Amino acid sequence: MATIAQPGYDEPRRPNIATANVQLPAVRDYEQVDDEILATLVPTKKWFGLLFVAIVFLMVGISSWMYQIHEGLGVAGYNPPVMWGVYIITFVFWVGIGHAGTLISAILYLFRAGFRTTIYRCAEAMTVFAVMTAGLFPIIHIGRPWKFFWLIPYPNWRLLWPQFKSPLVWDVFAISTYLTISTTFLFIGLIPDIATLRDRCLNPVRKQILAALSFGWRNSEAEWRHFVRAYLFLAAFSTPLVLSVHSVVSFDFAMALTPGWHTTIFPPYFVAGAIFSGIGMVFTIIIPIRKFFKLQHYVTLNHLDAAAKLALFTSMVVGCAYIIEFFIAWYGGVKAEQEYFWNRVFGQWWWAAWIMLTCNMILPLSLFSQKLRRNPSWLWILSIFINLGMWFERFVIVVPSLSHEFEPWQWTSYAPTWVDYGILLGSFGWFFMWFLLFIKQLPVLAISEIKEIVPPRMKHAAGGH
Amino acid sequence: MMQGMLGAFRELDATVAAIEELKHKRVGEITVFTPTPRHELEHAMHPPKSPVRIYTLVGALSGVCFGYWIAIWSSEYWPLVVGGKAIASWIPYTIFGFEVMVLVGALSTVAGMFIHSRIPRLTLTVGYDPRFSHGDFGVWVACPPEKLADAEAILRHHGAVEVRGDR
Repeated sequence: MATIAQPGYDEPRRPNIATANVQLPAVRDYEQVDDEILATLVPTKKWFGLLFVAIVFLMVGISSWMYQIHEGLGVAGYNPPVMWGVYIITFVFWVGIGHAGTLISAILYLFRAGFRTTIYRCAEAMTVFAVMTAGLFPIIHIGRPWKFFWLIPYPNWRLLWPQFKSPLVWDVFAISTYLTISTTFLFIGLIPDIATLRDRCLNPVRKQILAALSFGWRNSEAEWRHFVRAYLFLAAFSTPLVLSVHSVVSFDFAMALTPGWHTTIFPPYFVAGAIFSGIGMVFTIIIPIRKFFKLQHYVTLNHLDAAAKLALFTSMVVGCAYIIEFFIAWYGGVKAEQEYFWNRVFGQWWWAAWIMLTCNMILPLSLFSQKLRRNPSWLWILSIFINLGMWFERFVIVVPSLSHEFEPWQWTSYAPTWVDYGILLGSFGWFFMWFLLFIKQLPVLAISEIKEIVPPRMKHAAGGH
Repeated sequence: MMQGMLGAFRELDATVAAIEELKHKRVGEITVFTPTPRHELEHAMHPPKSPVRIYTLVGALSGVCFGYWIAIWSSEYWPLVVGGKAIASWIPYTIFGFEVMVLVGALSTVAGMFIHSRIPRLTLTVGYDPRFSHGDFGVWVACPPEKLADAEAILRHHGAVEVRGDR
């Protein structure tokens, strides 16, 4: 919680370190916070335009999926033994995107990193919608989506239970827990802001809906006391959860004896990659939002600078993992493993590997420059490269391994079809449709938390407590 | 419902001063409204520790037990026998123990918060004013009729911009 003592803010453009007192010098009082953030909820023509594009993309995805259900999985680009393709790649991609949201909202909350305050709501919403998107892909991938419930342990007349030693069942538990907890965390944080919206709302029907969603929140000191405690525990649960979820996703690969997959480095490698890709998506989303809604004095250059340092750090962790993979292949002396890695970078899949290395290892090194870290246009362009690079990272993990296993007669190729691309495009439509609807219904910046870092009005001169 | 007096304050330090005097003079039961959690108000109120942590602990322990149990029980119930492999293997089952611990622990925490915050609430009850979610602080003193005048005097003395009786 905030205190009365607020140090003066003398150099607005000075880069900050992650500190609990990140000031917003252009924000005077609580009323300004309400007025400016609630003003973002008014729909505009640009917003309708973007929503239309997102829905068109979604329709393309739904049509492609319907076609696949009708015709069978053969219309996707699977080419045995490459029986994991775009759907699993995109599943891992979207799960990864979700991770930065939890890092920013939960882990940085526990570390009292002040720069998270203005970006965490966006990141949290991104997490929920990204995991919602990711969850669709195993269902699409199994080909018979109506059988999906077989993975859930429930009492049934056949007395059958899932195989609890299978990584696919671990995934079901990890992803469904993650979606539930992320949604709960987002919604609990929203309750006080929904109450603010309720109190300012003039439309009686909308006011009733907001009153129900805010559960009759009154901003009493007792409510805040329990809220702060519960929020802390939710953050404490979310922190190991976010580390576990992508570790479990990595087990889908690491438990197999396939070259390039069967390695103990996968859990930390996947977690770092997930956080890196998620920060990329945070930049993709938050930079246009701060520009179009004129929120530059909330999401300041200091905040972007601090988030860019996180991106740089996770990029270097991921880069280190790429190099270690090659070292292990060489040092381990397993011929199939060595050939696989050679094939990955200099053989059949060189183009995918070099897109990955360029976007994830080389371009992010630009963030060593403070000038570029504080340049929103460059950060946005870089974020697109990071998104692209991280999708290709999963492509490089999935496809080259399956297409170049132990026996040469198994070696083959893989090319996605229009159905794969249609569903991939549809996933972006699905994600952005939810996100665009969210930003016009609920505050995209956390009103009550921002008020914590805005000095309250004082009758007498400010002092400590 | 006991009668009471509501004071709306623009400034945080004035609110804290009013709470301290009201508590010192034992005028009545105080409820404070604030747009954002503030340590100063918590220090002035001296509230007991939130019991939400008990719900967290009980929920997490129940969850971890259930997570291990469902995996072990169903493996024993429908054994998939693979030579040399344990039918119930605790190492992979730790994933279920952990995930269900987080799930039940977190949901119990939320339940604890709801129970002790007394939400969902159908009406906003006496003492609440929409300005308390905007920028003002509120102090509601529930007290017997003979102490209403004292409460009003204290609230006005400390600079409340509006003081009104309510029931």
